[in-house]
Amino acid sequence: MTLTVAVRSAVALVLVAWLLPAAAHAHHSFGVVYDANQPVTLTGTVTKFEWTNPHSHLFIDVKDNSGKVVSWTLEGYPATVLSRTGWKRDETVKIGDTVTIFGWRARDGSPLAHLRQATLPDGRKLFFGPPAGTGEGAATVR
Amino acid sequence: MRHPATTVCSAAALLFAATAFSPLVAQQRGASGPVPRTADGKPDLTGVYQASTRRGAWDYDVPSDQPGVPAARPAGDAQPTGARPEPMPFTPEARQRAQEILNRRSVDDPATLCLPQPTPRMTPVALFPVQIVQTPQQVVMLYEYFWQFRVIPMGGKQPDDIEPAYMGNAIGRWEGDTLVVEMVGFKPGLWFGNGLVTSDALKITERFTRIDRDQLNYEAVLEDPKVLTKPYTMRSTLMLREATRLREYSCVENNVDPQRYEKLNPSIFTRTPPGQ
Repeated sequence: MTLTVAVRSAVALVLVAWLLPAAAHAHHSFGVVYDANQPVTLTGTVTKFEWTNPHSHLFIDVKDNSGKVVSWTLEGYPATVLSRTGWKRDETVKIGDTVTIFGWRARDGSPLAHLRQATLPDGRKLFFGPPAGTGEGAATVR
Repeated sequence: MRHPATTVCSAAALLFAATAFSPLVAQQRGASGPVPRTADGKPDLTGVYQASTRRGAWDYDVPSDQPGVPAARPAGDAQPTGARPEPMPFTPEARQRAQEILNRRSVDDPATLCLPQPTPRMTPVALFPVQIVQTPQQVVMLYEYFWQFRVIPMGGKQPDDIEPAYMGNAIGRWEGDTLVVEMVGFKPGLWFGNGLVTSDALKITERFTRIDRDQLNYEAVLEDPKVLTKPYTMRSTLMLREATRLREYSCVENNVDPQRYEKLNPSIFTRTPPGQ
């Protein structure tokens, strides 16, 4: 397990920004807690899975290059949505699995992220949460 | 998941964006079956629906090779709903308040506290199904999102003992093949996205029109002279999802947002709009 906190290319950011309109109303605003300008990629071991509403949480331990383990909390879709988008409770991801995730970090710098996409041990990719920006509204009123 | 879209990331625009497709394309894709009808000849709206422009199974995005970016898919096959979304006709005071809400990234949204939401905000959310159960006397609408429901009596007048409610009080009637639902009696302070916060003067008129077996057109006209200078219309298309069932969505089960928000210094999420 290696810690990779990678700032994505400007091209990726542009693509993500362009896709923001594909988001919809969410239970809460993305931008209050998370920063769309801080994409993050992590590989770690699953320690806990909260399959809950209004949001699920995946917890992973990530070891950095110095060997220090950091426990990350990753937030995503509610359980009802996961059930319809390719996830199965207690099957798709199990405690001890190694997963790689892509998301956006919390603004406060804590090991908390909005989990957009997970790559499973068998290589499958599934979305775990909506795109960045969901629910916070545009910068200016229309 | 596929969500309605526009070019700005405001919830209202996203939720109610009308998707315009060529009628020719719709014809080429083939119309679905006829509109089911009840014994009295009315369109039967009974079924489970998803806000979508695609027929068939539950509609959702899957990842592409680009992290976080959904794989490309063909255009939807909904028949066009007509009008495109317009700017919200805010009064000057309401516009200023709306901008302040967006500047704070909608941190004060009552949805964060799991409070009930008005139906034009819930219906077009593509993540969650809506179920309609129709009888001649009443129409029942069940929402997985926020686990809400409403019972709409057909005909009659608004009662004289209405208590202000998050979902208002609804009365239904048929206009031809369109189910019209008129709602009054709302609590003030309801959020609709794009910074729109309504008053106790809010009146909403919804129209549900099942244009074929699969597609249910949805329209909501908001009238609120305290915050809008003229009626504002939101539109969306719903698609039948026969293999989908509603699942329990308890918003308070694991709602950690209030605790997270309490720890935040507002300066880290407040933004200044462009040009200021």
